[in-house]
Amino acid sequence: MKAFINCKEQEFQEGTRFIEVVKLIREAKKDEPMIKTIREKTGRNGLMFVLNGRAVHPHEYDSIEIQEGDDIRWIHPYAGG
Amino acid sequence: MKSVWNKILRVDLTNGACKPEAMPDDIYEKFLGGAGMSAYMLWRECPRGTTAFDPANRLTFAPGPMQGIKQTGAAKWTAGAISPSINMNVDSAATASFGIEIKEAGYDAIVVHGRPEKPVYVVVDDDKVEIKDANHLWGKDAYETEDGIKGVEGEMFECVTIGQAGERLVRYANIQTRKKSFLGRCGLGAVMGSKLLKGIAVRGSQSINVHDPQEVDRLNKQINQRLIDMDNEKEEWLQIKRVGTAMATELFAPQGNLPIKNYQLADFPSGIKNLHASNYVKELRAKPWPCQYCVIQCHNLCEIKEGPYAYKGKGPEYESFAMVGFNTMVDDVKAVAYACELANLYSIDTISLGVVIAWAMESYEKGVITKDDTYGLDLTWGNAEAMVEMVRKIGERADGLGYLLGEGCKIASERLGKGSEQWAVQMKGQEIAAHNWRAQYISALNYCTGVASGPNHERSNSQHIWVGHIRLPEWGIDEVENEERWSWEHAADRNAKFHDYCNVINSACHCKFMEFRGYTLTDLCNTINAATGMGWSLEDLRRCGDRITQIQKLLNIRYGWKKEHDFNYPKRFMEPVDEGPAAGKIPVGLEDAIIDYYRERGWDDDGKPTMAKLKEIGLEDYID
Repeated sequence: MKAFINCKEQEFQEGTRFIEVVKLIREAKKDEPMIKTIREKTGRNGLMFVLNGRAVHPHEYDSIEIQEGDDIRWIHPYAGG
Repeated sequence: MKSVWNKILRVDLTNGACKPEAMPDDIYEKFLGGAGMSAYMLWRECPRGTTAFDPANRLTFAPGPMQGIKQTGAAKWTAGAISPSINMNVDSAATASFGIEIKEAGYDAIVVHGRPEKPVYVVVDDDKVEIKDANHLWGKDAYETEDGIKGVEGEMFECVTIGQAGERLVRYANIQTRKKSFLGRCGLGAVMGSKLLKGIAVRGSQSINVHDPQEVDRLNKQINQRLIDMDNEKEEWLQIKRVGTAMATELFAPQGNLPIKNYQLADFPSGIKNLHASNYVKELRAKPWPCQYCVIQCHNLCEIKEGPYAYKGKGPEYESFAMVGFNTMVDDVKAVAYACELANLYSIDTISLGVVIAWAMESYEKGVITKDDTYGLDLTWGNAEAMVEMVRKIGERADGLGYLLGEGCKIASERLGKGSEQWAVQMKGQEIAAHNWRAQYISALNYCTGVASGPNHERSNSQHIWVGHIRLPEWGIDEVENEERWSWEHAADRNAKFHDYCNVINSACHCKFMEFRGYTLTDLCNTINAATGMGWSLEDLRRCGDRITQIQKLLNIRYGWKKEHDFNYPKRFMEPVDEGPAAGKIPVGLEDAIIDYYRERGWDDDGKPTMAKLKEIGLEDYID
């Protein structure tokens, strides 16, 4: 099954949960300076996720199953400047 | 094509003629509107030899196809002209509602030229256009002028105005609208001043005819909800509506991105503490002050109730806060906010202001200027009182240093001499913004090669690949490692893409701050298509951005750009700091990176577009 993360096509097994994608991306981004700053300050890494144009709330991560063709985006918790 | 009127308004201040003119579809298909339209007007009407204060200079105020569609971020609009700071074509963007009113008045641009015998303001009320006497407004600040115009014409008009710095031709004078948003960079306020044009008031009553209203509505709802949800998910201190962009300072500091002490230092502990977002909210009583249709609400209204810095009005944004605060080492949050608002009243760009005052402070520290030059002010680093007073001297163009600083630090340092050119942090006559090249080398490349406004952090905002973590995955910029900040690999490709991205945004006329919180290139492309019916692909979008960049480059060449201008960067670029995350980092290899960038753009090694490139994007007939 194929879905897109930030426009890049990726292969997923049937039944993959959204939380697994979240964990993978969080792990990959954990050492970025902004993420580190935010984690040191809040204990959270602050990354946010969009699925097919809609913001996904953390309480939904576990209940969503990745579907064929899903468009997943991750966004840093930055606020301008 | 929908969502445009195929019509501009020409205002000739010399003979008082105001008339609509037709604009064919193919111009919008090539350049969209906004920045692209203002570049096109210069290309069509301002030949080689036209200068900033020449009455023939075209000052174009242009919304784009996204004005009037009620999408968050679609209040942005652009103005352009030949600039008195860099003496080439520039554009600058502002927000609030002025662009929307131009569009609803039935025009895709207002193009102003000429010079009357006495000060005037222009009133556009749908198809009724008048040029009115502004003698009674001349000498007033920018906000008083807006009040004065609205007092006569009515509160329903949206205005742009200038203050005394624009009248007195400060080379980095800005133009304000609604006492909250500014065409900040490159001295467009001085262009207005040179035309004795104190303000423009616009009111429109026409609905915009879009290609697919249902799809526009669907996109608006989806995008608005997403952006609201994304901001609500953030920790409170990261929410843009709470403190605006000034909160960025605490994320930038650990990256070494802040400008401190005229870009000489990497740390400023008392500044970090006192200019912190929480202190900003507390001391300035910041409250959201949104633009029309915007769900992000990054502008804020501040109030200092008493003391020497009492005021109620616009709260400083990141660039203002960083340049007027960190760069001068003034850590009094109230003094910084007050100085920025004072600059707004005079109509002074706060980015250039922060650099020229820092330049003067360094000159004072080195003994190049003394109290005899500073009106007796002790112009030491961090002296808030002296900094605020220097803003007044510049705004009033006081004889001596105040006048000189109003020329910008290139001219000022050339006139003062004594080595002061060494610490003038400018390129091509424009002061460098608040993104530090030591924190990401791509900023140096961007400042050197900018074509739309000289060195400008918003005409390619490639710094935000790292600083703000913007990605353009649709155009192939996604996975980027932190260490690549200090690498030239991919820099040419990335800077070119961000340059084109900014040109598309500034020509469609949308707010780049949406992109920090979940607005994507796909959203932009879908919205342009729903509004106009052009049916563009993401590649078409890039091609449009590329085309606008190329016409801006052709204009640079027309107005005197030479290759050496791109290589004449500030000496400070190659001076390292000795602490912080960017310790020891200087952009060695910048010269080669500039040449790489030329090639990436389809320019020859002299930095000029090749005929093959111009043919590829349909501009072969635009070369002089």
